[in-house]
Amino acid sequence: MNKRIIYPTDDGGVAIIIPSDCGLTIEQIAAKDVPTGKPYKIVDIADIPSDRTFRNAWEYQE
Amino acid sequence: MTTIIDGTAGVTFPAGGVGNTASAVVGLTDTQTLTNKTLTSPTISLLSSASATALTLQSAGTNGVIIDTSQNLQFNSGYGSVATAYGCRAWVNFNGTGTVAIRASGNVSSITDNGTGDYTVNFTTALSDANYVASANASRLNDRNTFGNIGYQSTYAGNRTTTILRVYSMTTDGFTLTDTDMFDVIVIR
Repeated sequence: MNKRIIYPTDDGGVAIIIPSDCGLTIEQIAAKDVPTGKPYKIVDIADIPSDRTFRNAWEYQE
Repeated sequence: MTTIIDGTAGVTFPAGGVGNTASAVVGLTDTQTLTNKTLTSPTISLLSSASATALTLQSAGTNGVIIDTSQNLQFNSGYGSVATAYGCRAWVNFNGTGTVAIRASGNVSSITDNGTGDYTVNFTTALSDANYVASANASRLNDRNTFGNIGYQSTYAGNRTTTILRVYSMTTDGFTLTDTDMFDVIVIR
């Protein structure tokens, strides 16, 4: 699945959900695995940097 | 000769069935041995009577698989005797470096990349409780020894619930979080 789900963490960072091939749609996985009340976005995998050197400095932008 | 019985009321089949032919009707209380039979769309169930014991499959006259009356699956498979098997209820193998990706999984809907060396495993189907056994293993990466750590803090029990398990990859020489390319998690209950 070439999609990712992102949402802001409580400490100002960003969490990225990587879906499995479990039979659920990306929307169903978002509804299930994003913490209740958190805003989220579904993005293309290419939108996530592969260089994780400064991973903990990544931020969620509305 | 073919006998057609039309209707069910008042029809009583004798124990042992009506004859011992390929198309014989089997008596309700009889024990029959099926040899070279093919079951089409079968439903195999135990009698719901007090005498019901277990479903047993034998090989060479020895019990190989048993489903007992408590619904426990028991099997031998080289163990030496038939014993209850305890299931791996969820598992995942993922790459936590670069473009984080799941290689293969079971009962895992997704993993969450929370930051460097910090991941959450999200279960597709919730476990019955949070008293499961979990194990995590992080591979050595680029000459840096790492280990997998199961997240649990008494002040934040949300790290380990029926629906999620948080895991960490840490260096062995300082316990700092670090990404790893081969991370394995299993959950047994």
